[in-house]
Amino acid sequence: MTRVRVLMSLAALAVAVGLWFALTAPPDALQGEYARLLGIHPPAMWLAFLAFGVTALGSIMWLVGKRDRWDRLASASAEIGVIFTAIGLFTGMVWGQAVWGTPWDWQDPRLMSTAVMFFVYLAYMALRNAIDDPTVRARRSAILGAIAVVQVPLVYFSVNLFRTLHQTQSIRPDGSTMPDEMLTAMLVNLVAFTILYIALLAARLDVARVEAEAHPHTALAGDAVHPPRLNEVEDV
Amino acid sequence: MSDTLVVAGTYLISYGLIVGYAVYLHIRMKRATDQSES
Repeated sequence: MTRVRVLMSLAALAVAVGLWFALTAPPDALQGEYARLLGIHPPAMWLAFLAFGVTALGSIMWLVGKRDRWDRLASASAEIGVIFTAIGLFTGMVWGQAVWGTPWDWQDPRLMSTAVMFFVYLAYMALRNAIDDPTVRARRSAILGAIAVVQVPLVYFSVNLFRTLHQTQSIRPDGSTMPDEMLTAMLVNLVAFTILYIALLAARLDVARVEAEAHPHTALAGDAVHPPRLNEVEDV
Repeated sequence: MSDTLVVAGTYLISYGLIVGYAVYLHIRMKRATDQSES
């Protein structure tokens, strides 16, 4: 609990610094104030990619070793990834409305692949909620979690593979296409969001651990098998 | 609506979602702790 509080405080500080960088950078000549959204949109999507990568890692490790903690890691990370994908989609739509003149393009590969990724991980969470037996739940969600991660490189490289409204990567091996102030704000926020992810993941894992301790029968035999109700037998 | 207001509102909603999730985790943690102690 103390560890989570320290991480949360650190994350709050990092996010506050990131926010300061994003909101004090000079407005862009073409995008105006909307360029400030680069302080949240790319970091949110980076965090989503990281979270889904960790979900895949947890899923594969569960399939290999069948340890509960890997299942909890995969589940916790997917939940955080979904939230940050939602933030990435929302901020991208606001930016798109201002800069492209439309919040959404149904034929754009980057936008559509991101939306599909969002719904696949929502389905992952729905799948987990639909299965009572913890072992069956862990196995099925691990298979989905290990397969679904193929979407991450597909979303990332969609701007290179297809013709799209979305611009290509701003940071390339040969340099950046962004002004220095905007680039700094984005990089500071990338670091801040990574710390935020670690803090949220630690908090979510703590919740999962304490919930498993509060309901030990669900971890041992699954909800389908109830523990003996000795009090009721005595009452009869 | 001014551009500044739209950008500020977007940040507010996004960070509101993150803070909301952190509060949700805190409430779940408190409930689970109470259950494990009882």
